[in-house]
Amino acid sequence: MESPAAAAVQTNQRPPALSIPPVANDLRAGKHLVFRLASEDFSIRVASVQEILGIMEITSVPQTPLSVKGVINLRGRVIPVVDLRLRLGFPAQAYAEQTCIVVVRTRPAGFDLLTGIIVDEVSEVVNILAEDVQDTPDFGASIPSPFLLGMARINDKVRILLDIDEVLKGHDIAGQP
Amino acid sequence: MPEDLTPNDLDLPSQEPGDMSAYTADPAMLTDFIVEVREHLTSIEEKILHIESTGADSGDINAAFRVFHTIKGLAGFLELSDIQQVAHEVETLLDLGRSRKLASLSSIADVVLQSMDFIRAETDRLELVATSDGVVPEPAPSLVSADTIIQKIRATASSSQESSEEHQPSAAGDAPSAHDIRLPETQPSSAKQESTRNSSLRVETAKLDHLMNMIGELVIAQTLISHNPRLLGLQDSRLTGDLALLTRVTTEVQRITTSMRMVPIGTQFHRTARLIRDLSRQVGKRIALSTVGEETELDKTIAEELADPLLHMVRNSIDHGIEIPEQRIAVGKDPTANIRLAAYHTAGQIVVQVSDDGRGLDRNRILAKATERGLVRPGAQLTDTEVYLLIFEPGFSTAEAVTGLSGRGVGMDVVKKHVEKLRGRIDIQSEPGKGATFFLRLPLTLAIIEGLVVCVGDNRYIVPMFSILEILRPDESSLSTVQGNGEMATVRGILLPIVRLHERFNLVSSTRQLTEGMLIVSQSEGKRFCLFVDDVLGKQEVVIKTLGATFKDVAGLAGCAVLSDGRVGLILDVHAIYRTPPIQAFAHLGAQASTASADNHTQGVD
Repeated sequence: MESPAAAAVQTNQRPPALSIPPVANDLRAGKHLVFRLASEDFSIRVASVQEILGIMEITSVPQTPLSVKGVINLRGRVIPVVDLRLRLGFPAQAYAEQTCIVVVRTRPAGFDLLTGIIVDEVSEVVNILAEDVQDTPDFGASIPSPFLLGMARINDKVRILLDIDEVLKGHDIAGQP
Repeated sequence: MPEDLTPNDLDLPSQEPGDMSAYTADPAMLTDFIVEVREHLTSIEEKILHIESTGADSGDINAAFRVFHTIKGLAGFLELSDIQQVAHEVETLLDLGRSRKLASLSSIADVVLQSMDFIRAETDRLELVATSDGVVPEPAPSLVSADTIIQKIRATASSSQESSEEHQPSAAGDAPSAHDIRLPETQPSSAKQESTRNSSLRVETAKLDHLMNMIGELVIAQTLISHNPRLLGLQDSRLTGDLALLTRVTTEVQRITTSMRMVPIGTQFHRTARLIRDLSRQVGKRIALSTVGEETELDKTIAEELADPLLHMVRNSIDHGIEIPEQRIAVGKDPTANIRLAAYHTAGQIVVQVSDDGRGLDRNRILAKATERGLVRPGAQLTDTEVYLLIFEPGFSTAEAVTGLSGRGVGMDVVKKHVEKLRGRIDIQSEPGKGATFFLRLPLTLAIIEGLVVCVGDNRYIVPMFSILEILRPDESSLSTVQGNGEMATVRGILLPIVRLHERFNLVSSTRQLTEGMLIVSQSEGKRFCLFVDDVLGKQEVVIKTLGATFKDVAGLAGCAVLSDGRVGLILDVHAIYRTPPIQAFAHLGAQASTASADNHTQGVD
């Protein structure tokens, strides 16, 4: 059920405490879970990931935005599932063997909230150093997304650092699909 | 506070130096103390009232003595000197009663009750301390000091001993005699209850909820194993036997866990006894309380939520329903009125009944007030029930003047709010001059409901059984339309509107033909309608879970539950489905979403 990459991920491990004086980049540094969405590599901090599940049957909830796929049963706890492709404006794609539900923990209103996000594929866990991180380039008038924390370039590959709290903040039914 | 206390009774620097030490005591110990003292006080309140109404009862007075002795010990241990001293004095007083040195036991009840109020108020204050990082709140201005209470107790003790008079004016002399309050006979099982109470254990509700969740998972896991096709293929009698054992044990574990949340309703009934005693004195009415079905069990959350509505309904009966003794005599009734509280189970529900034999609800007066307040159009034709239900409207009151008791119009709308929150219903029966009965119909538990699993296309939903009147497959002849679109079915000779679930939720349904699907006859605020679904899959008991903040605004859903195959099923709020038209803003999204969800089934990898 779980993909091999998922099995390798140590989700309970928190990033090491920062001993160097914090600069703006440090908040984005640390261990990140990298996943793929439409041929782009995104990453979120491992600290906010609870676990990774294979794709499963999702109970759809009526009258909700398209990106909210519905709810799943996580060991007796019912949690909402958001299709990250649709949330970030990528075209929909059929779920495949590698499709995963990453269960993330956010604190939108002072309490823990678990949400499943559907990604194309979970690839790896990388340690992103502060010097790897760059700010999102200024695209001029067109801002690609308000959810980006920055970019990290490791081994000539670009990872887009995603602000998952921000992504999931507005995904109630009043939000845009 | 009892009305016979003057402001002189309040002396302000009541804080004993010894009391302070408790604030530095272990908060866990303090919390345990508070919980325990409250339980003890609740357990004997009924006994004190019983002593007051019947005079001597050695069993009751012994129980009360023990409780105050325990409180004294506990308070002494925590160095709460005020509570300790008051408990000590009450203990002394009760000891005199025990050894029959008092002329009358009923005369001491008033001061004992006041002492209990004092100890309660003190524990309330301690609770604030325990939860506010040691900040010592000022005593409430209305709080009587320990010294005042102690003096009162001593005065009562000496006067009861010296005088042989039957009744001591320890309470307000002009109030009707305390003997007017008759309490239910002590249950023969009370001794047994007491012995079992000591062997109980307090558990956090959160832990119980977690346990419930896990048991639910266990049951599902067990079902998955038992229905595994490979196992079914094996002809192994030992395996079959073991599986049957596993099923039996799981079912039993589930049953026990569910029962752990159940408490008898008696405690809530006893709380009203005190209210009736105090209020009847205040307003000069004579009232006897009788209770039926105290042992009826219901979910703890519901029992707690029921406390306020019960008090408000009893208060309403005392103020509006019951006449003063002179009036009762004038119309040939017993001067002592009856309030009857009853609880019983029926068809998966618990019914709580509050009846009085007062003047009943005044239809014309309610209607006049409602018209005056613009709640009803003048000349509207309403049934009796519709008129009676008007008293639950916020701000509604037929009282001529605002009294300390009622008339502000709050109260009955609180009842309605609480009952709706509990997914319950209120009915009223009333007969002019003979009295009124309020029926509260509540679910047995909030955690579990019996539901009908229905499907629309690939979606499965749970319809709570309590909202279903009947299920039928319509035939062609019973169907008709209004102006070409409003669909109706004739059920038992009555035309009922049809609501198509797939239209409300914008789902892809497997059938558009009414005769190929099922109609679920349901009721919403007295109006019946039919909910059209593709098919009915069966009945199932489900553990209700909240859908969480993400879906809190979705109309038509009451929650969700994990079905026996591990998937999530959505529980329908039939009332909301009937009331809210399909949300146009999301209609297009919904249509797409349901197509997408249909895809999930083909694309999903298990």
